[in-house]
Amino acid sequence: MILRLIAQRLALAVGTLLVVSALVFLFTSVLPGDIAERVLGRESSAQQRQIFRKHLHLDDPVWKRYGVWIGDVARGDLGRSLVNNETVTATIGTSAKNTLFLSVFAFVLYLPVTLVLATLAALFRGKLADSVISVITLVGLSVPEFVLGTLLIFGFAVHLSLAPALSIVNPGDGLFTRLHATVLPAVTLMVAMAVYAIRMLRDNLIDVLDSEYVRMATLKGVPRWRVVARHALPNAVGPALNVTALNLTYLIGGVVVVESVFSYPGLGKMLVDSISVRDVPVVEATALLASAVYIVANLIADVLAMVLNPRLRTA
Amino acid sequence: MSVTALDLPAVVRRSRARRFLRRFPMSSRLAALLLLAYLLIALTGSLWSPYDPFEAGTGLPYSGASGSHLFGTDILGRDVFSRVVYGTRDVLYLALTSTFIATVVGGLIGLASGLVGGWVDELLMRLFETIISIPLLVLALLAIAAAGPKASGSSPLLIGVVVLVYAPRIARMARAVAVDLVTRDFVTVARSRGESVRSIVWRELTPNAAGVLLVEFGVRAGYAPILISSLGFLGFGARPPSPEWGLMISENRAALITAPLTVLAPSAALAVLVISLNLVTDGIARALGRSAERTP
Repeated sequence: MILRLIAQRLALAVGTLLVVSALVFLFTSVLPGDIAERVLGRESSAQQRQIFRKHLHLDDPVWKRYGVWIGDVARGDLGRSLVNNETVTATIGTSAKNTLFLSVFAFVLYLPVTLVLATLAALFRGKLADSVISVITLVGLSVPEFVLGTLLIFGFAVHLSLAPALSIVNPGDGLFTRLHATVLPAVTLMVAMAVYAIRMLRDNLIDVLDSEYVRMATLKGVPRWRVVARHALPNAVGPALNVTALNLTYLIGGVVVVESVFSYPGLGKMLVDSISVRDVPVVEATALLASAVYIVANLIADVLAMVLNPRLRTA
Repeated sequence: MSVTALDLPAVVRRSRARRFLRRFPMSSRLAALLLLAYLLIALTGSLWSPYDPFEAGTGLPYSGASGSHLFGTDILGRDVFSRVVYGTRDVLYLALTSTFIATVVGGLIGLASGLVGGWVDELLMRLFETIISIPLLVLALLAIAAAGPKASGSSPLLIGVVVLVYAPRIARMARAVAVDLVTRDFVTVARSRGESVRSIVWRELTPNAAGVLLVEFGVRAGYAPILISSLGFLGFGARPPSPEWGLMISENRAALITAPLTVLAPSAALAVLVISLNLVTDGIARALGRSAERTP
């Protein structure tokens, strides 16, 4: 039963991705301006441009070009960058690894911060700690990532000199160097994700702490920390997992801004840069990859919710 | 027939308004005052701001805070205080207009889609879900790139982009509300009276979905300044010499050490605006007995 539902979701995800690819292609194919002139320069002759256009099949109708492109993509060929003529796969590969590193780093920071602050807020509900955390999360979700990043640079890079202002990484860098270089962007992403999850988990925890089985455990004489850790948290985490999955999808958009603030060579910065120079194949591949990750993350969220909550399986 | 606020006697309406106000928390009232101040600054700023926001050389570049330049000057010697004041108008106008259009368009499409059902509903929702599965900022960047360099930075384009990313999300929510409402008796009665889709959406569904849509408008309006200024920061939003805050922060970032106020002032203006919008939304949601759900 559940396997069939998962299979259905999977088929739907593949279908969605296909339509997304068409949308992305449509958006990039109407990019104004002659690509040939931009790549070859203003001094190029009309004949050169024509050969170039012919080489890239730019004069074919959109649907035909889309067919060729999506066929190539399905075979793993994403084309070549118009800027440096390297394969898009190679260009994107390093950036994708960098973004993955940053995301994992941010996520590792996110989990304990969320758990600790949400538990504190729920335990001291209505008290000072709760109010402080509530104000912090409200401010956190009101401050744009680029402002937060800039403020972190101002405080920790400029004034305290604890971390670099720009996250420059080189291929041969060791783990510690990388962690040090990316600590500020990782914290920025962590804060942006945690503020939502803390509010959500706090509310869930309060509901669970009021429930009868928690009161029962308390009356039995189970120590407070054990009540929270063994009885309350596991039951409150379920609904909050959904926010965590949503946070995964957030990361994909969030890295666009955060990587640009810290000049970190990841996918997000690559998307911004390639749009600026109108490197169409790279834009297409990056946008498609971002959407694919987004769709997969949502799929995982759906399946997780179904696994955790049997009531959803009948849908 | 649905019961709308207009059908009730004045006394009931007044006591409803009072109850609404009573449930409006203190923090939200303060935030509402702040929002009012922002509105006033946006509307009257041009009358009293000390300098022309575009005038270069009103002081030495990055001269720091002083009596004549409250927040100092930027690299061209423009007065940062005047620019922040003028930016208020731009940011508020862009954020509120775009969110309003998105809520009306998305809300009406969603309600109608939920009411009509069938393949139209199926098709629309699939389309919207596809648009939603392109990450918000990525879609915004693609749309701006597709519009081309000529349109780039113009207010209609920015408003259009926000509508493009918001409307499908709002439509999906409005549709969920409609699907729940169409099973109620008053819709069945209206249907059997032979009323048109437009009339049912307008007279039966909209009044009953108004609360949800109002809260949704608030939540989205709270995020719109962030989206718009993020685009400005990345170089895809407002164009120089616009005093839009995101662009201003990106322009002055190089002077973070020498003249931090040039960055901190627009940052604070932006943060306080968004906090106020969020607090007012939370207050409205609580007074209506709903929750303002924010997802990342």
